Amino acid sequence: MSSSIESSFVKQLQENQNLIHKICRLYTNNEDAHKDLFQEITIQLWKAFPQFRGEAKFTTWAYRVGLNTAITLFRKKKRTIDTIEFDNKIHRFNHEEYNYEEEEHIKLLYQAVQQLNDIDKALVFMYLEDKDYTEIAETLGISEVNARVKMNRIKSKLKKILNP
Amino acid sequence: MDELDKLKNHWQKSEVAFPKVSEKEIYGMLHKKSSSVVKWILILSIAEFAFWLVLSFFLKDNPNTKRIESFHMDYVTIPLSVISYGIIIYFFYNFYKNYKKITATDNVKNLMANILKTRKTVSNYIFVNIIYVIICSVVLFAMYFYNDEQLINAYHQSEAHGNVISFYIMYIIMAIVTIGILILAVWLFYKLVYGFLLKRLYRNYEELKKIDF
Repeated sequence: MSSSIESSFVKQLQENQNLIHKICRLYTNNEDAHKDLFQEITIQLWKAFPQFRGEAKFTTWAYRVGLNTAITLFRKKKRTIDTIEFDNKIHRFNHEEYNYEEEEHIKLLYQAVQQLNDIDKALVFMYLEDKDYTEIAETLGISEVNARVKMNRIKSKLKKILNP
Repeated sequence: MDELDKLKNHWQKSEVAFPKVSEKEIYGMLHKKSSSVVKWILILSIAEFAFWLVLSFFLKDNPNTKRIESFHMDYVTIPLSVISYGIIIYFFYNFYKNYKKITATDNVKNLMANILKTRKTVSNYIFVNIIYVIICSVVLFAMYFYNDEQLINAYHQSEAHGNVISFYIMYIIMAIVTIGILILAVWLFYKLVYGFLLKRLYRNYEELKKIDF
């Protein structure tokens, strides 16, 4: 691929890298695995870039490739690194009103989401990203009605994990 | 407000402290090798095709093959060779066709289905090859039985000693053990390699199918 295409890709990816970090955040639990997944998503995005015609937004297209990589293509390496430090770094509150109790609660929520299976995480991810059910259903390849039903089940599942 | 909405609030409001990846680092990543499951499936599948192809070439120069040629049974051996190459061409074409359909821009369910379909083509190829090997073995054992002088002598000897049944039993056991070892080796290979490689994919695909059930 020519260098202008390469630089256009790198620029767009650099600007939208938080999207990939967020996927990595849900699908990995330590810094090295996060980096590995980030790299694999980048490679897959680059490989699929010739198919990106600019009809959809870069982010919409990147969501799909990113999730596909996290759920299906990425091969996790076995690691036994402590995740607490990483979790604390990622969950840090940066907005003005700091609330210890709320922060603890959010941490627990993230931990609960981590316990979900790969498919449930994908639904949660798109829900957190404020995607509508049409897009969630299209991305996963399921019907919109079933996406809604599944989302309600995930909410109950999370409630159960948090209040056993 | 339910739990997930609280999380959504935080997810969108907070500036999560992700490490910033520079353009230079991204350029570096583009030239790194992928370690995706599809790449491994491709490598293993091509190795499997190559294995059977190399095996058939290797068998061509085998002393046993020369001996079979001396039986002058081309009307059996030539159709068997034609079938064997037909099998390779048919499955390799299907494998390539399915492999080309795998794209990370597809929806999650289709992507998984296409990967599994590609994989299935190779397992079917192996399955057909095993059937082919079994048929060939039966034909070979029969050819030897009727043409090999040593075997014919051994048969006459056992006939003279009234041991024809034990001769047949020995012969059949030999055939079964040979084929059995082959099937066991292939089964072990599948359990170990593909069990390890595709476990997560199967689990996720089943989970996704359950949603739409």
